[in-house]
Amino acid sequence: MKTIMLVDDSATVLLSISGILTKAGFKVVTANSAEDGQKKLATGTKPDLLITDLNMPGMNGIEFIKVVRQQADLRFMPILFLTTESQQSKRAEAKAAGASGWIVKPATAETLLGTIKLVVR
Amino acid sequence: MSAIRRAFTEDFTIYRVAELKPVLLAVIQEGEHIELDLSGVEHMDSAGCQLLIFAKREAGAAGKTLAIVAHSRAVQSLIEFYNLAAWFGDPLVVPAA
Amino acid sequence: MDELKQVFLQESFEQLDALESLLLELENRPDDETTLNGIFRAAHTIKGAAGMVECAAVESFAHVVENVLDRLRNHEIAVSTQLAALMLQCTDHLRVLVANEAGVAQMEGEEIEAQGARLLMQLGEYGPGGQVFASPKAVESGVERIPSSSSAQNCWHISVRFGPEVLRQGMDPENFLRFLETLGDIRHLETLADAMPAAAEMDPELCYLGFEITLESSADKQAIEDIFAFVRDECQLAILPPNSKVADYLDLIRNLPEDSLRLGEILVRVGALTADELAEGLRAQSAPVDEPEPEARQIGEILVAQQVVQPELVVAAVAKQAQVSEKKAQDAKLIRVPADKLDHLINLVGELVIAGAATSLLAHTRRDGELIEASSLLTRLVEEIRDASLQLRTVQIGETFNRFHRLVRDACKDLGKDVQLVINGGETELDKSIVEKIGDPLMHLVRNSLDHGIEAPAVREAAGKDPQGTLFLNAFHDAGNIVIEVSDDGAGLNRNKILAKAIERGLVDAEAHLSDREVFDLIFAPGLSTAEQVTNLSGRGVGMDVVRRNLQALRGTINVDSQPGQGTRLTLRLPLTLAIIDGFLVVSGNRAYVIPLDAVVECIERPDSEHERNYFNLRGQVLPAVCLREIFSLPGERPARESVVVVQYAGQRAGIVVDRLAGELQAVIKPLGAIFRHLQGIGGSTILGSGEVALILDISALIKISGQAEQRLLARPEQRSA
Repeated sequence: MKTIMLVDDSATVLLSISGILTKAGFKVVTANSAEDGQKKLATGTKPDLLITDLNMPGMNGIEFIKVVRQQADLRFMPILFLTTESQQSKRAEAKAAGASGWIVKPATAETLLGTIKLVVR
Repeated sequence: MSAIRRAFTEDFTIYRVAELKPVLLAVIQEGEHIELDLSGVEHMDSAGCQLLIFAKREAGAAGKTLAIVAHSRAVQSLIEFYNLAAWFGDPLVVPAA
Repeated sequence: MDELKQVFLQESFEQLDALESLLLELENRPDDETTLNGIFRAAHTIKGAAGMVECAAVESFAHVVENVLDRLRNHEIAVSTQLAALMLQCTDHLRVLVANEAGVAQMEGEEIEAQGARLLMQLGEYGPGGQVFASPKAVESGVERIPSSSSAQNCWHISVRFGPEVLRQGMDPENFLRFLETLGDIRHLETLADAMPAAAEMDPELCYLGFEITLESSADKQAIEDIFAFVRDECQLAILPPNSKVADYLDLIRNLPEDSLRLGEILVRVGALTADELAEGLRAQSAPVDEPEPEARQIGEILVAQQVVQPELVVAAVAKQAQVSEKKAQDAKLIRVPADKLDHLINLVGELVIAGAATSLLAHTRRDGELIEASSLLTRLVEEIRDASLQLRTVQIGETFNRFHRLVRDACKDLGKDVQLVINGGETELDKSIVEKIGDPLMHLVRNSLDHGIEAPAVREAAGKDPQGTLFLNAFHDAGNIVIEVSDDGAGLNRNKILAKAIERGLVDAEAHLSDREVFDLIFAPGLSTAEQVTNLSGRGVGMDVVRRNLQALRGTINVDSQPGQGTRLTLRLPLTLAIIDGFLVVSGNRAYVIPLDAVVECIERPDSEHERNYFNLRGQVLPAVCLREIFSLPGERPARESVVVVQYAGQRAGIVVDRLAGELQAVIKPLGAIFRHLQGIGGSTILGSGEVALILDISALIKISGQAEQRLLARPEQRSA
């Protein structure tokens, strides 16, 4: 079973997306902040995909992606970030930080799973 | 004429290719006919496949032969998907002249 | 029936039999010229003979078969399982046709015709340009053609060169291309790696791959483009809709990085262009600019003019078949056997060994010379079977060792250390069931060594050492055991720190006086970790105790040696196999004991004058002696002359004093129950041919006991003279 780590400060987002992912057969590990996510990644969680929000209190998503890319066993892990249509400029920044791609919020289950399929086999 | 067979059990993935490249080059150095046994390779991704292409090319450039004598399911599946089986395989077919 | 016809029938059947066996052989040796020629010859002979007797049905069918075989022989088409199967069916059909000629066919005429027609159609696929009935080679044009028009209607052409960073960003081109399959059917895919630079510059983590794809899909351009959204900025992507103009393809060729000619060939191969169009286009390309553009024909139009053969389907099939036959050849050399079947075999061999011993014992008690001879032959064969079947489960440890290269490299990166891994004895063999179980313990030990053993380069330099540390993995056989050493040239174990921690955890009494070895042994105690900093790798206080428990479960031991500032060595000793050993039977106090034969160095007699000493003299060398009678408190009188079995374990020698020697035997090891686990000096039990139980001596434990005795002796020299 593939594991996806989902990082977002919004409980609603965590709940709705993890619901979709769980139903699709993924194991979901959630974290409500970049720090929380970082802690879980450092203590042995090795997801096949990381999905993270960009705007979070504390460490923001871009910083988080940069930190994750530093960890040797995660340096090539697919990372998708959650973004909105209006945040186009953030995409380039996130990609430069090491993100693989993005998911536009709000996403339908179909879009979400389709996008995940692009980066996780 | 020295034939050399080398079995790999490590993953041929992006995480490992940096270290596999010198290993493959060294194997090519060692023999004239290089046989790779990849039956133990559990995972292979495009980076791994690309490295195999590279190894085959380097062997050819050095006037040597490199054959994959055993494939794991992962290796076979990707080589097949990338339609490289004929390119890797022994020259069973000579294209119609 | 006239004689000629009879001869023809007989010859045909013979040739058909030969044809069949050669075809079967071909599957295993697809490129064997002799076989190919033999097959062709057989078909040719049948055809010729049929012509002689004016047997038209056989002749015309054999002719078609011969044509296909001729192409095969000339390597115009490749051997495949499908083709071989078809050829076998054709052989059967020819047999029916010949039988029909003789009036003995098992089939109705109509049925035969239907079968013939079906086979001819299938054979047609392998003929040149589908024209198997024409004389061979006549139609061979060398031009590969476009897929049949019906399927080309919706064929998109996608040309993509991935950006170099795509792999590092956690993406795999394969996923994108696989995703294309959700939009339609990939009719053809060609992989290009031309962008890959020379060996020195080639960075395997960068992507040099490009693809030319024919996708049959009713999706729109946007949908296809969307798939590549994440890599759009870095990659070179061209999507040509179905029925694109030839000029568009030529534009594509011009815009792509690869050599025009090579790309052109690929486009011809994937069915996007015809060779003529390509030639024309390339000519135009090199011609002055004012020359008119190549005629903008629609691919669809061209298709109509083309024949229906689909060369790329053949290419794809051939590639697939090359794969299949390659795999077949491999399979012929290796047989996969479920491990439990092997285990069952080895159990049976174990029983066989016991039964053989019983027979041999019986023969000796009966003093029947012939029976003794027969049973000794039997014993020898059983021994060979035993070794051969254990060998089946044997693997080299090297593969397990090699996995650590990566671990070391990654750990060094993480920890900012520089460590070289040196492997020795990778070819050392041991039982697979053991190898599977030592991977994890070894990993723990290696990690520990990297994490806590070897110092950071600056620290090493300050201590006057080579900034690069070395981690050794060493394996060798020693006295029926495999020894695996994990050693490093690091800082060594810190005696005081371990002791302090152990006292803090209440593992030892603060007042206790412990030897270095006893302190080092504490690292195997549960919950003891001396790491100041819990790192990613180890140091969470679990591990060493688990390691020891895992090894004990395998009848193995682990020892630690350490020199402050010089390094630490962990020595693992494991039995080579968990099942059967060669043993040396000894008797003390009327009880049978088995010493593993590998541990036995020699046997000597011991005069009764030495009875009371716990050492003995072996050609001038004084060795400690362990008397079985004493350590197991056996009843009865000591015999006048005792024997000493000199054993060796881990480089140490000792003598085991026994009443008498009873010769070699094979011992099937039966583990002792849990209640005997703490019994010192006993490693297991076995059943003798007589049905008696014999205990297998644990030589490592006995040597330890003898060593302790020796130390006591040295510590209190006054007792020695007493």
